[in-house]
Amino acid sequence: MIGVLAAFPFLFSAHWLVNIGVFTLMYAVLATAWNLIGGYAGYISLGHVAFFGGGAYAIAVTTTHHYAAHGYEPFYVLPLVGAAVALGSLPLGWLAFRTRTATFAIVTLTLLFVFQQLAFNLRSLTGGSSGLLLPLPLFPVATYERPFYYALLGLLTCGLAISWWVRGSKLGLTLFAVRDDEDRARGLGMRVTYAKLAAFALSAGFFAMAGGVWAFYIGSVYPQFAIDPLVTIGAVLMVYLGGKATLWGPVLGAVLLVPAQQYLAYRLGASQLYLVGYAAVFLVVMLLLPRGILPSLAEKIRRRRGRADPGRPPAQVERPAKELVRS
Amino acid sequence: MHLVVQAVILGLLTGGVYALMASGLTLAFGVMRVINVAQGALIILSAYLTYTLFVHAGLDPFVALLVITPGMFVLGMLLQFVFIRPLRSEDREELSLLVTWAIALGIEGVLSVVFKTTYRSVNTGYTNATWDVGGYTITQVRFYGFLLSVAILGLLFLALTRTRIGRAIRAVVQNPVSARLLGIETERVAAVGFGLSAATASAAGAVYAMVYPFNPNSHYDLISLLLTIIVLGGLGSLGGAILAALFMGVAEAVLAATISPTWAKLTFFVALLTLLLIRPQGLFGVKARGAI
Amino acid sequence: MKKQALIVAALFAATASVVAVLATSAGGGTRSASAKPITIGISLSLSGDFSDPGKAARRGYDLWQQVVNAHGGILGRTVKLKIVDDASSPNQAVSNYTTLITRDHVDLVFGPFSTLLTAPSARVAYRYGYAFVEPAGGGPAVFQQKLPNVFFAQPAPVINCGDPFVHFLASIPTSKRPTSGAYPALDDPFASPIAARMQGQLSHKGVKSVFKTIYPPETTDFSPIVAKMASKHPQLVAAGTQSDDAYGLVRAMIQLKLNPKFVFLSNGASSALEFPDKVGRSQTDGIFSCGDWFPQAKNQGNNQFVAAYLKKYHGSALAIDSGSAEAYAVGQIIQAVAKKTHSINNKTVIKTLHKGKWPTVEGNLSWNKYGAPKGSDILVEWIHGKLLPVWPKSLALHKPTYPKPRWH
Repeated sequence: MIGVLAAFPFLFSAHWLVNIGVFTLMYAVLATAWNLIGGYAGYISLGHVAFFGGGAYAIAVTTTHHYAAHGYEPFYVLPLVGAAVALGSLPLGWLAFRTRTATFAIVTLTLLFVFQQLAFNLRSLTGGSSGLLLPLPLFPVATYERPFYYALLGLLTCGLAISWWVRGSKLGLTLFAVRDDEDRARGLGMRVTYAKLAAFALSAGFFAMAGGVWAFYIGSVYPQFAIDPLVTIGAVLMVYLGGKATLWGPVLGAVLLVPAQQYLAYRLGASQLYLVGYAAVFLVVMLLLPRGILPSLAEKIRRRRGRADPGRPPAQVERPAKELVRS
Repeated sequence: MHLVVQAVILGLLTGGVYALMASGLTLAFGVMRVINVAQGALIILSAYLTYTLFVHAGLDPFVALLVITPGMFVLGMLLQFVFIRPLRSEDREELSLLVTWAIALGIEGVLSVVFKTTYRSVNTGYTNATWDVGGYTITQVRFYGFLLSVAILGLLFLALTRTRIGRAIRAVVQNPVSARLLGIETERVAAVGFGLSAATASAAGAVYAMVYPFNPNSHYDLISLLLTIIVLGGLGSLGGAILAALFMGVAEAVLAATISPTWAKLTFFVALLTLLLIRPQGLFGVKARGAI
Repeated sequence: MKKQALIVAALFAATASVVAVLATSAGGGTRSASAKPITIGISLSLSGDFSDPGKAARRGYDLWQQVVNAHGGILGRTVKLKIVDDASSPNQAVSNYTTLITRDHVDLVFGPFSTLLTAPSARVAYRYGYAFVEPAGGGPAVFQQKLPNVFFAQPAPVINCGDPFVHFLASIPTSKRPTSGAYPALDDPFASPIAARMQGQLSHKGVKSVFKTIYPPETTDFSPIVAKMASKHPQLVAAGTQSDDAYGLVRAMIQLKLNPKFVFLSNGASSALEFPDKVGRSQTDGIFSCGDWFPQAKNQGNNQFVAAYLKKYHGSALAIDSGSAEAYAVGQIIQAVAKKTHSINNKTVIKTLHKGKWPTVEGNLSWNKYGAPKGSDILVEWIHGKLLPVWPKSLALHKPTYPKPRWH
């Protein structure tokens, strides 16, 4: 899959296609990262875009102050930005984790508004509502989008690798246990708080790095676009569509939704029913496919095979940790 | 000092309206464990209905309520029936958050197609009228809005304590399992509760339309504010929501008048986060309930 | 896990190929040499936050297309607009211009609505060597990018909107000038910089600055701000406003009985229909604002524009959004370049526009190196319930009247 994605800019070199690829990968990274906390641990964070904005502003601030920087520099600082935001997210996560479920969602949403307000109000740092401009990258026009594309692909690969590792590790076990029954998990002596915070910080770091690439690509950062609740909602929708708590589901959601969204807005946007359509897709997914495409498909395949495949117990795709906890 | 007192008066009047708006939200949570993110959109929808009736039929917003409130009640029951009830109860709380968010987006989309995105406002004959009380200015519209909020909250309280269905709702809020054992049809009660919550949106919308300019987008600001209020008050607690709303209204007005309006918005959220440090269940939330 | 990856890969390949097939079928098309229309790509906000001004711009573009084609097109070729929606999102605007240029190979591109979208879009146009004449991106960010392909089709950069008012104040007898000024402003790239600039200019001219605040866009309740402002008794209120906040501010000033001698609102008060509707027509008297266009202007092609507009969209001339005129002016500029150079080659357009003055419905426009216009806006005032240009004298239809009457 990563190979297909890596070859994509060479197979389809048209700028507009690679451009859509950039946005698709960006959302794939976001959805994969959100899945760590929202899917594995079952904590619905609606405010993760605050970290996306944090990364965007970090890259914007570091590069505008060096207006001569015209090359790949922003990509080099990206891991630093990710690490810094991940660290910074820890106290916020600790605060938010004092609550659960719906309250947690509201508190994270509050964090989002706090950060948006800060971006508006700390004018000397963020430029306030006038925003920040980034230097014009002097990449060759013929392959202009590729540095952004591969930076995001790199992030996605890391994100998936971490996701895959988490699933098989004690951390993943704890997270799944938290989702199923947090108090029980705590009672069993699992290090619940540590696991939740680790997942929160990891996903925050990825949001920040994706935000950094986004800022560099768009070239300007405004509070309402860098910290836009619809970005988190987009990522959440992709996770639910593809399959919550699966490895590839979030990527699938992004691959299906982003090109469709971009292409439809381009072709049919004038009909104005864009928002209504978006809401309708959202509702259909939630009501008819609450488990997402991948788990539903996997179940179908499994059913067709009957019980011939004992290596794959029914619950494994969706909730690998559940059985392990009970045994 | 004059400035602060003036701000407190304004804040109390605004807080009363916030209280009405938040009451619906906290009620819906109480009966269904549903955070209705669409409550803000329902309020804006009512504001548009008020606007339409005022501009095209010449109906005074207070009179228009007699038409809009039953409509919103039915709409609320409908939304509950179509979108909330089908959700499996074990992940209803989580999914409902996203489903109602989608409903909000849908309402916003429809409103922006029908009414465009320019700001509207309802200018009645008394919109700009004021009273001078001992050197302090009281805007008549706000005062009427405050009275209406108090009246509706009173009615809501009476309905919850004095009617059969109201007592059933309270029973469900307190303990859904034993309520079911007592023979209360929880789903039906939930539908009525949701309808009532939507009905409060109609009055809130009418007041909102008279006091503030609004467009289809306004529901984002509204809902972020209301969510903060109900968490502050303790999820599901009506009294807590009312107190938190009054507190927020006054705090916002005083801070905007004394410090700066841009930072005043932030103090809101900071208040919430500080509270969470001390009392994660909110001011009046009970630890076992309130989903914390 | 492997199976999941395969499913995802297969679906991805399927999506990509469907998109590619759609692309070739839509992008290709027959191309006969002489009669080939000139296609102009435009991304506009037809949905989302900016959809109302976006649609006003669309009317201007559509109208220009109709008028120019009725007169034989450009260089004998008909003009075809390809307008797509960006849903008020910069991501989509970037995607749209990339697609218009690299897939549909449009001949020219025109600008979107709002600086927030113009800044990123102008970079895309620059990358591919396209001229970017744009109607609505007048904020500092657009010019700070230092792109040589940008031309803002209005007389002055947005933040200079208060300049004519300042010049007017400087022209009246000292005894009648305000001595103290209050500067409330919306936290918006098109509002707060205007107020800040006026504050600087006026305090330089001896107007003591007694109050300044920036309020957030979601402010709906202006009473606390106005209450605080009233306690300073300013003789001048010069506000950086957009639209709804201008109405809210005026309503709060009426309610709290704050009566300064001069009131200037950068925007909102300049809309001939909405403003009296929102605050009451009788209350508008004596309020100043700034404008880049008005229906009675004697600018190049303005009569034709107004007549064609009313014929196509009906209503009254007062109801025409200046956003439509701005978009129309963009077309006029390209038309003039083609007439002068017999070419619509982007390189030629960019080179040509850097020299000379270009007459449009927005006045005679000229630009600095990075597309900031060198002219100045018009001061307008509400007089007896009508919005009239009052400054500079050459364009005025009425003398400025002051001081402002009290609210009633």
